Amino acid sequence: MSGSVTVPVDVVLVDDHHMFRTGVKASLDQRVRVVGEAANVDEAVAVVHQLLPPVVLLDVHLPGGDGGGGAEVLRRCADVMAGTRFLALSVSDAAEDVVGVIRVGARGYVTKAIDGVALCDAVLRVAGGDAVFSPRLAGFVLDAFGTGSGDVAIGDDELDRLSAREREVMRLIARGYSYREVGAELFISVKTVETHVSAVLRKLQLSSRHELTRWAAARRLL
Amino acid sequence: MTIAAPQVRPGPPAPARLPLRRPRSGRWVGGVALGVSLHLGLPVALVRVLLVALTALGGVGPALYAFWWLTVPAGDPTDAAGAARPAALTRLARRPTDESPDGSGPRVQVAIGVLLLVGAIALVATRRSTGPGVGWVVPVLVLVAGLVLAWSQLDLAQRGLRERPGGRTTSVLQLMGGVVLAGVGGLLVVNQVIGEGIEPQVLVQSIVASLAVLAGVGLVLAPWWLRLVRELGDERAARAREGERADIAAHLHDSVLQTLALIRARADDPAEVARMARAQERELREWLYDDRPAPGTSVAAALRAVIAEVEDSRSGPGGEAVTIDSVVVGDRAPDAGTEALLQATREALVNAVHHGRPPVSLYLEVGTDDVEVFVRDHGDGFDVDAIGPDRFGVRESIMGRVHRRGGTATVTCKPGRGTEVHLVVPVAPCEPSAGPGANGGATSAAVPAGTTSTTGTPDTVSATDSTSSTSSTSGTSGTDTMDTTSGTGTSATSRTSGGSR
Repeated sequence: MSGSVTVPVDVVLVDDHHMFRTGVKASLDQRVRVVGEAANVDEAVAVVHQLLPPVVLLDVHLPGGDGGGGAEVLRRCADVMAGTRFLALSVSDAAEDVVGVIRVGARGYVTKAIDGVALCDAVLRVAGGDAVFSPRLAGFVLDAFGTGSGDVAIGDDELDRLSAREREVMRLIARGYSYREVGAELFISVKTVETHVSAVLRKLQLSSRHELTRWAAARRLL
Repeated sequence: MTIAAPQVRPGPPAPARLPLRRPRSGRWVGGVALGVSLHLGLPVALVRVLLVALTALGGVGPALYAFWWLTVPAGDPTDAAGAARPAALTRLARRPTDESPDGSGPRVQVAIGVLLLVGAIALVATRRSTGPGVGWVVPVLVLVAGLVLAWSQLDLAQRGLRERPGGRTTSVLQLMGGVVLAGVGGLLVVNQVIGEGIEPQVLVQSIVASLAVLAGVGLVLAPWWLRLVRELGDERAARAREGERADIAAHLHDSVLQTLALIRARADDPAEVARMARAQERELREWLYDDRPAPGTSVAAALRAVIAEVEDSRSGPGGEAVTIDSVVVGDRAPDAGTEALLQATREALVNAVHHGRPPVSLYLEVGTDDVEVFVRDHGDGFDVDAIGPDRFGVRESIMGRVHRRGGTATVTCKPGRGTEVHLVVPVAPCEPSAGPGANGGATSAAVPAGTTSTTGTPDTVSATDSTSSTSSTSGTSGTDTMDTTSGTGTSATSRTSGGSR
């Protein structure tokens, strides 16, 4: 997919550490162009509304605003969510950080240890409308939706359970497989893998599954 | 009030001079004598005797005692001395001191009260018919006893005192008893002043009148009192915050700063620096993000320990430190099966770190009746011929362990896509509540606990596109699954000897 993109994707970079922003900018290749930066919640909301970039790289822990961090930026940018997609970026391992931003609309989650090429791949994937799942996020999904055999979704419109295929895809991602490797392993195309992952992302965002609801309620996310 | 019997508290070696505090343990009445003795470095008995002796000089002793009781805050002097230093200088955060739970304090107080009462009665009985002053003794004694009871609440109301179960009822009872006693004593004194001729009617009227006055005063003072309570609450919250900050500061000091200093000292050794940074990161993450389950209750925690050990002690082919990305789904209490599985996992990890190529991924899934582990690296696959004897050891230590527990072990090598070891061990079905906080449902770990992840560097999925997909177009046809159960040299077509080992 990377070879077909010729026009660089515009990105707004939101992080409160200047050093980190500089580092990210230096590591990105020519496929991605940083058009704006912000260091706190209010700046981020203003810059995103002004520039309307296709992708925003958003730190989960941000100062300013009402103290809601990246999730608050997402909530306050809900009106531009149709044209702008958010990719969360954090150093945190905590499930509430990972899923908190996903539940309010982020299209993916990567950690700050990611290298430049991988980050560009992730940006392009998000810009193309797909979801970016790290092994950690896949692990959380499996944890939240259950791995027992009785928990398989039958219909496509079932939000609270994963289908068998989706679970297979999640397990492979949690094992460290790339989308391409997942496709090869399951004899399906990368596009199909992306479809499955996007479906899981949708379930993760919309599901009212007991554990997710309880988890979100405990953190006053609902 | 305090009399005789030296009982020097076996206190810790005191610094230059302890601040003046009234200790809660070892006190007789208000802890004044004990506090003063600790402060001045005198035997407590001497102080007590002095206080009693001073009573003879126009009642100076009790007056001093009362003054100190009111003005000196309660607390452990040694703690206070520690707290006086700035938090940044204390090596460890102050831990909440545990109050002596033996409850000897109230018993001592009750004993003293009973003693006083008996003394008073004896006094009255012996002097029954001597002079006009006798009539004063009982009312004044009752009044004083009530005051003492009520004033002793001052200690319990001291800021920072932790609520003990039952402490509140006791204090309320004490306060009420004190008020009643003081009231009765006061009335008796008034009675004594006025003389014999006080009528019940007048008494009732005066009681009602004084109650009305009290209520009025209470109404007037209520806002002020409320503000006081609120300020107290704010102050408590501030204290809690400060304590938390001190805890964090102490942790950072003990771990991160030390590691940074070490890293600076070893700056010329990249591998060692990377290893130290990784170990520190792992430790800090665990401290920040993970629930720390009790030892022996969590497979995930045991796995974390295994990963830490391998990361710390093993290096890649070039001597570089290797990071293991791990994802854990579910959790349960360890048993013999998971123990064997973890041992085998450790061997697989060592193998991947030594002979494979990073990134090394680890996935552990706790199912209802089995536990699965995948260890994956991006090396060129196992080269059985090149490391034959070692290989046999690995096979024995990985496969043998798992098979003895009724499990299976498979090694899959795929060209350009690394090697994956898959281990499954059956386990006895256990209650889903093995995970901390889980209560039913199909998942064995509660969602708030989340995905137990022990690594800080999971690359995104799309990231790995660039690492190993050069020959993956024909990857599936070249796949060769090698079951090394028998240990007799089943071979994989995909092995290459051109690796970096």
